Amino acid sequence: MEISLVLAMLVLLLPLLASTIVLVGKPDTQYDRATLGVLPLASAFVAAVVTLVVVASQGPIGIRFYEPSSIARSALPLSFHIDRLSAVMTVLISGIGAIIYRYSVKYMYQEPGYRRFLALIVFTTFVLLCMVSSGNLVMLFVWWQLLSYLLALLAHNLSHAATFEGSFRTFTFLRLGDVAFLAGIVLAHSLYGTIEFDELFARAAATPIALSPLPGVEMSGATAVTLLIFIGGMSKSAQFPLHIWLPPSLYAPTPVHALLHAGIINAGGFLINRLAPLYGLSSTTLHVAFVVGAVTALLGAAMMLAQNDIKKTLGFSTIGQMGYMIMECGLGAFALAVFHLIAHGLFKATVFLNCGNVIHKAREEPVLPPAAQATEERHFSRLTWSTGFIMSLLMPLIILFMAHGVLQIPILNAQGMVIFLFFSWVTSSQAILTLTRIRGVASWKVSVAMLLTLLFVMFTYLFAAESFTKFLYPDREAVASYFQAAALPRPLFDALVATTTLLIILGWFYLYSQSRGQTVRIPAWVEKIHIHLYLLFLNRLYLDALYAWFGRAVTRLASGLTISSRGRPL
Amino acid sequence: MTAILLVAIPAFGAGVGLLIRGKPHALKVCVLLVTIGTLGLIVMEGASGTLPEKPAALTLLALLPFAAFFTVLGQPAHRSLCAPWLLTLLLLGLGLGVLAYEAPLSLIFLFLVLALVGLLFFHARRRAGLDVRWGIGTIALGMLGVVIGATAGGPVSSIALAIACATALPLVPFHKSYVAALSWLPGNLPAFLAVLLPVAGYDGLVTVLPQLPEQVQDAAAILALMGMVYGSFKPFAQSRAASVVAYGGVAFFAIVWWYVLASRTAPVQTVVFMTAVALATSGLHLAWSMLRARFGDIALRALTGLAQPMPHFSIAVSLLAIAALGLPPFGVFSGFLGMLLAPSFAWSGRLAIILFAWLAASWYLFGLAQGLLFGRSRPEYRPGDLRLPELASLTIVLVLLAALGVMPFDFFGSDLGTQYQTVEMGSPLWNK
Repeated sequence: MEISLVLAMLVLLLPLLASTIVLVGKPDTQYDRATLGVLPLASAFVAAVVTLVVVASQGPIGIRFYEPSSIARSALPLSFHIDRLSAVMTVLISGIGAIIYRYSVKYMYQEPGYRRFLALIVFTTFVLLCMVSSGNLVMLFVWWQLLSYLLALLAHNLSHAATFEGSFRTFTFLRLGDVAFLAGIVLAHSLYGTIEFDELFARAAATPIALSPLPGVEMSGATAVTLLIFIGGMSKSAQFPLHIWLPPSLYAPTPVHALLHAGIINAGGFLINRLAPLYGLSSTTLHVAFVVGAVTALLGAAMMLAQNDIKKTLGFSTIGQMGYMIMECGLGAFALAVFHLIAHGLFKATVFLNCGNVIHKAREEPVLPPAAQATEERHFSRLTWSTGFIMSLLMPLIILFMAHGVLQIPILNAQGMVIFLFFSWVTSSQAILTLTRIRGVASWKVSVAMLLTLLFVMFTYLFAAESFTKFLYPDREAVASYFQAAALPRPLFDALVATTTLLIILGWFYLYSQSRGQTVRIPAWVEKIHIHLYLLFLNRLYLDALYAWFGRAVTRLASGLTISSRGRPL
Repeated sequence: MTAILLVAIPAFGAGVGLLIRGKPHALKVCVLLVTIGTLGLIVMEGASGTLPEKPAALTLLALLPFAAFFTVLGQPAHRSLCAPWLLTLLLLGLGLGVLAYEAPLSLIFLFLVLALVGLLFFHARRRAGLDVRWGIGTIALGMLGVVIGATAGGPVSSIALAIACATALPLVPFHKSYVAALSWLPGNLPAFLAVLLPVAGYDGLVTVLPQLPEQVQDAAAILALMGMVYGSFKPFAQSRAASVVAYGGVAFFAIVWWYVLASRTAPVQTVVFMTAVALATSGLHLAWSMLRARFGDIALRALTGLAQPMPHFSIAVSLLAIAALGLPPFGVFSGFLGMLLAPSFAWSGRLAIILFAWLAASWYLFGLAQGLLFGRSRPEYRPGDLRLPELASLTIVLVLLAALGVMPFDFFGSDLGTQYQTVEMGSPLWNK
């Protein structure tokens, strides 16, 4: 057997070994076995890194346990395909999985169900690894579904009643996505006669098919398939309105969040990337993804600001970030979405694991909140403000120059890229605006921080992201075609650019006025709307109440079926 | 000769069992030995190629003694269960007769199966109330269907037989006999009938299918779609686990009806799906009967938090629920996906209803398992975990379900589809 195959199998099977080590044995040795379990997981990570190097240099690794011609006779067409995308994802998952497991060994020590929990965490890592290495659409779906169930199982905390409801909701909403995903697979097989990725992409590109799902409504076969599969991605990546499973699941133990927010929830972004050639054939689906992502990002961020619980705040932050990731996919920037999910995964895993420590510490040392501190003296530094303002204004020019002149990205032909660059402008402006709030430091330090922010943003967004795109999608023409497919209608494109510019300038104006002690007059009706919106977002758009109402309606309907005339069952 | 033996061995076993009915331990061993012997005979005959020439015959024939074996194995040796065990053997023999013989003998066996179940309903009518009376009515209709089917000719015969099949492989509005059998009969009988009735009904359905007029097939396909919706909603209003699972079966078997009627084919994938649904339903009934043996016929809401005091039971029920609601790697998922990816299936808007039934199962079956296993633990019940025979019986069900899920479809038999004309199911709204 080739060394690359052995490596690939090691990456997948070592977590399974760790799971077995944890589960099998006497209870009094469980801590030692749990500690020993780190070893296979760390080895899996090392193997994943080596696999990435091998795949990058020698090409994809394929393992298949069935004959493609007899696919209809196979109950489970088991196969693995590890290309650059899979290899990058396996490095991320095995790395974060190992860290989270190591953390859990101590964090969950002496908790009831210690072994079960650790075994489930490792098994989930195994399923995640298999999912990103799936060789065909059916196997991807198989692992995808198992993930839904495992997540619901992990979300249970036997000693906490709220997790009961949270877990149930998690499973039912994830299954909603699973069903749509299945419908997508069946339609894809029905239209193109295959479930193999490469064949599917080739046939979909070669034979355009028109469908009429409703009278007067026409769509291409690729659009129908990708839209259905996209719903599957929406549920796993907590996109509006299928996001409401995420907040209640936050009652689960902290390591579960770390794994969820760093790995599982990225599944939607991975799914779109895995099927990128198919998504590239459908502008409609990409536009839908853009809208869904944008709405989720806005609502997620808005709800995050209104929450008063650290885990819920982080949860809604994740929803917002996932919206951002899906929006990137909708812009045709598939590789950037992967870049984003990696960065977000690493960041959120760290934050959640720290969050667990903070909560533990708060429980161990309950102290009253510190007395209110005197209002800080407001400093106004002309240098800070001038630097920030100029940086914000110059940034688009610098970004455009770097992108167009140095990296030779075809900006004029890629609306998606321009919008993406505008978002990078928003992000960096937000960072600079935040820096202006820093009190008690000399203004030159803040100015330097602003310059560094600018450099960081430029490096990250342009150089690193561009290199990553080249690594994941070496075919430049394909990348250009994705951007082309994602192009928005001209008026919408112009409106987005104009709105973004206006918001940034207004933001600067508002903050400048506040820092100078000037009152910004806000009309009463705006204040009223502000209060209403705050209530709306604090109550998470009342979607939980809507969900509860729906549950009651189903039960009523079912009871109605039971009792017919004169109280006799139907 | 083989067919006679298949009927005679369980019948003989029942006769011997009658002699030792006062000794539960001995009777249990006797029943288990008879089922093993029957299974052995089926396997031997299957290997030598002397089984009846029906598609997937070996799978369906072997399934019945397997079901009889694991449902009896999971029961405690108690005097009150002796009668259900003897009836299990009797039903096993009759069920094998349905599968092993061609019409008209198979119809006689089907009639006898329905008659025996009807007698059991009659016996249980006072204890169970209205549900069972509906069951008696439905089963009487099924028996009448068999009689008309055997005596009349032409389309009337095939329609009557289809109605008889609908009482066994449940199809709304003829589903009440199935629901009553699974909800109210004593001992292991619900778990065994959860396999026997659908298998017998399916065998009858594929036999009668070529003779059914097209209009009747289309009408029955619409009934099947309605049955999916009905069977998916009903579990939400049930307070007993047995009824939840029974109505879940109604919804899933309606998928089999719809598929076979709409595509005019019965690929081996439908056998896998039907068999897996029957096994999963049986397994869940068996698990519920184990709880009933400990706590009595308790309402669902009153029994929570079993994960910690009954870890083995919890794992088994979790896996059974996964299997029943259609998750991999079990047969319900593989069969379902196999049916949808089979060449005989063409995309249509009706898929939405099928997927709804599949989705709803995730809701009520997950709720059922979650309610039993998690939530507030109730120390006042002092539950004991599964004993070895109980664990073994549930393990057998799980192994069978996993085998159905991972083995290639060819292993379970050949397609029935070649016998019939294949027609395009695609709705006119979906055109390539």
